[in-house]
Amino acid sequence: MAETKTLRINGKPVVVGPAEPSTPLLYLLRNDADLHGPHFGCGLGQCGACTVHVNGEAVRSCIRPLSSLGSKDEIITVEGLGTSGKPHKLQSAFIEEQAVQCGYCISGMIMQAAAFLKKNPKPNVAEIKAGLQNNLCRCGTHLRIIRAVKRASEV
Amino acid sequence: MNADNAKTFGRRDVLKGGGVLIVRFALGGVWGAGSTGRVSTGRVELGPYGPAEDQVDSWIAIAADGRVTLFSGCSELGTGSSTGLLQIVAEELDVPFERVKLMLPDTNRTPDQFVTSGSRTISIHSRPIRQAAAEARAALVDLAAKRLKVTPEQIITRDGVAIVRGVPNKKVTYAGLIGGREFNVKITGKAKPKSQKDYTIVGISVKRWDIPEKVFGTFAYVQDVTVPGMLHGRVVRPPSHGARVLSIDEQSVANIPGLVKVVRVADLVGVVCQREEHAIAAAKALDVKWSDWAELPEMKDLHRTIRGLPEFTSGYPKEAPGGVLAKTGDVETGLAQAAKVVRATYLSPFNHHGSIGPSCAIADVRADGVTLWCGTQTPYGTREAVAKFLGLTNDKVHLIFAEAAGCYGQNGADDVAIDALVLSRAVGKPVRVQWSRADENGWETYKAARISECQGGLDANGKIVAWDARTFGMSGYSRPGYHEPKHGGEPGSLVTAQLAGWDKPGLEEGFSGAAGNFNPVYQDIPNRRVVFTYLGSASHRQGPLRIRVGSMRGVGSPDNIFVAECFMDELAAAAGMDAIEFRLRHLPFDRGVTVLKAAAERAKWQTRPSHSQPASGDMAFGRGVAVVGTNTETSVAGIFEVAVNRKTGVVQVQRVVIGHDCGLVVNPGAVRNQIEGGVIQSISRALKEEVTFNRSRVTSLDWASYPIITFAEIPDEIDIVLIDRPDLPPMRVGEPASETVWPGVANAIYDAIGMRLRRLPFTPDRVLAELTRS
Repeated sequence: MAETKTLRINGKPVVVGPAEPSTPLLYLLRNDADLHGPHFGCGLGQCGACTVHVNGEAVRSCIRPLSSLGSKDEIITVEGLGTSGKPHKLQSAFIEEQAVQCGYCISGMIMQAAAFLKKNPKPNVAEIKAGLQNNLCRCGTHLRIIRAVKRASEV
Repeated sequence: MNADNAKTFGRRDVLKGGGVLIVRFALGGVWGAGSTGRVSTGRVELGPYGPAEDQVDSWIAIAADGRVTLFSGCSELGTGSSTGLLQIVAEELDVPFERVKLMLPDTNRTPDQFVTSGSRTISIHSRPIRQAAAEARAALVDLAAKRLKVTPEQIITRDGVAIVRGVPNKKVTYAGLIGGREFNVKITGKAKPKSQKDYTIVGISVKRWDIPEKVFGTFAYVQDVTVPGMLHGRVVRPPSHGARVLSIDEQSVANIPGLVKVVRVADLVGVVCQREEHAIAAAKALDVKWSDWAELPEMKDLHRTIRGLPEFTSGYPKEAPGGVLAKTGDVETGLAQAAKVVRATYLSPFNHHGSIGPSCAIADVRADGVTLWCGTQTPYGTREAVAKFLGLTNDKVHLIFAEAAGCYGQNGADDVAIDALVLSRAVGKPVRVQWSRADENGWETYKAARISECQGGLDANGKIVAWDARTFGMSGYSRPGYHEPKHGGEPGSLVTAQLAGWDKPGLEEGFSGAAGNFNPVYQDIPNRRVVFTYLGSASHRQGPLRIRVGSMRGVGSPDNIFVAECFMDELAAAAGMDAIEFRLRHLPFDRGVTVLKAAAERAKWQTRPSHSQPASGDMAFGRGVAVVGTNTETSVAGIFEVAVNRKTGVVQVQRVVIGHDCGLVVNPGAVRNQIEGGVIQSISRALKEEVTFNRSRVTSLDWASYPIITFAEIPDEIDIVLIDRPDLPPMRVGEPASETVWPGVANAIYDAIGMRLRRLPFTPDRVLAELTRS
């Protein structure tokens, strides 16, 4: 049955729904929380454009059901990672390296990279590639993305 | 100007969204929300194709606080080209770059610049913008001269201030001269743009305006447009390309919460719901009975089928009757007298554009007019096409461009607009339609598959004496709007309009874009016959081969260059000569020589015939080259270093060197970004990508069935030698470098393993098949 639920998103409680337990987190973020940083790319967990953090782990919000989330889970989107006034080091590095073409995949790339930089703060290039292996970019921005993640890790 | 359609639109409210209350929508990125002051108080008369192109006010506005707005008719496709346009305006006007912002296409506000495609934003469409800015500056100089009581010749301009030369305190700002008021100046062509040697803003790597918003998640793509009362729609596409609706059981979705309506117009079927997840569920649950259809060829017979398709003879332009692009000497005699004859057939598949974000549009159809938010490349063409489809005049449709995910050509961006319009019309409310991944892969246009046949002859000295090439190509243009100078549009080009029962034909102007550079660039070939057999356009719903084709990054050029530069390499190898030396011997154009030599030097190219390195172990290494361009267009040489695993058949491109001359470089950083992107995307297409289909439909509907390049597979380095030519106008950037990739990689694989891969993509099984054959 559809229910109204309070989720903790970017450090604040946000009421979402009423929505069925199977509703993917992506649509709740975009339509109920008005956070458009996570993007719809495939709805299949294949591309990574919808990547957000749940309790510090990078997850694919397009296949993460509401039923798996409680009010204590910390959900962070790219908007919560940093802002123009207080940017995350990855966001600054992506601007510095101009590591964007169309940018549709980029919020997912940044969220994926932010999660693994927490576990591996000083990755080499091979480790960065491995960390981003399941995030797709169609514009071919890969080399710049690697440079941006490297730069952020050296801050 | 058609008086009936003419109206004026006050740009006073430009920041407020023109009367439409907008919850979330970026006006081209621009003087964003929270900024104060008005962009303009100018009033611009609107014709059937927008503001008049010959008025300064149609292009440029200076606000009371001195900020400048460019009203651009070019869509931004995620390439950064609009940043280049802003540099050009700042340069001509002598204002700081930061003070110039952008209004992206909007049929109530921006002039018609036809179609944003073919890497032409900077190379072509910047010309009227530069001229408008130059005319604006000239008008400001005249105003300043009057105000300061000197002659115009005594006025210099700097940072948005007009100053009397030699008297620094005698000055007036642009804001003081015209801020908040219109120029009322006609563009006469008399104002002379700056000399390129005086540029200070054009030519530097200004950071792109859109990137901060994109990394902070605040950028509004078309997928993010939200308007009050908006409902969510999804479409239900036929299970085969030719299927028709037999019946719909609406009871199948009766239990979906918030269902507003099931909509059917002919074979266009959709659902509208209050919430997005419910629209997804309803589209999945809706029980539609479709007729059977299974008339596609077997995939293994694709190229044989293409070879036998009827020729579309009325598509040939006057300058290429019968598709003959070149005919000199006599190839039969040349081949008969040749010491060596080489023959080869090249095959390529259909490709998906592979936009990471599937297409989306938002439509609000009301009795008094229609508003459409769309990621189109042809704002006015699509506006006219959808107006015709709805039975309305152009002025009743307000199309607002919103940037989509990178499209690389014609994906579903225009088609989804018809879906949104049909659904909104049915429910009387604004509706957002987001295509699924399968909708996009299943119903967009594809890069056309090709078959090409070549034969060539060498004399005893290793000179080419005959070049005989024929290719069988489909249209590269299936858009609903025209190239300049023709305005207008046709819904018949859209597959969604076809589904909805529109049976009038679409536009047909596909030959030249597809045929383009199939004729090789080498001058010293005495006997030459080059034929592009044109097969016209094709759609899922029309044509003898019902697989929809359209433009994708370079249109026909990647295939043309694949054939020409692979065959050149085959001849070089047959002559026992080094690939670059052989090319230079056949007199490529001057700028081609320059980029070839620059790339060869950077790559430390060793002069030797191909496949002359001894093999050792499982890994074989090779290098290949390809060149594209002419003396009046962007010229590129690409050198590709590959490693081929002879056990697994896996090809890895390890290093790429690009020699690149695109004339004047407006923004070197953005140019490099585009070159890198084009190269990586084309490596993906070279090694991995092939649209699959069965007898009924395209089957590569997700990223598992259509894998693209991943981080593990990209080259370690793309080294770009950017040859700046401030003496030349700026030329195309997004496409040309990518065109060197397929042949360059194929030639490198030959160099490594001694086998020619003539069929794209060069997958491990195809490489292994060749190795087994040897």
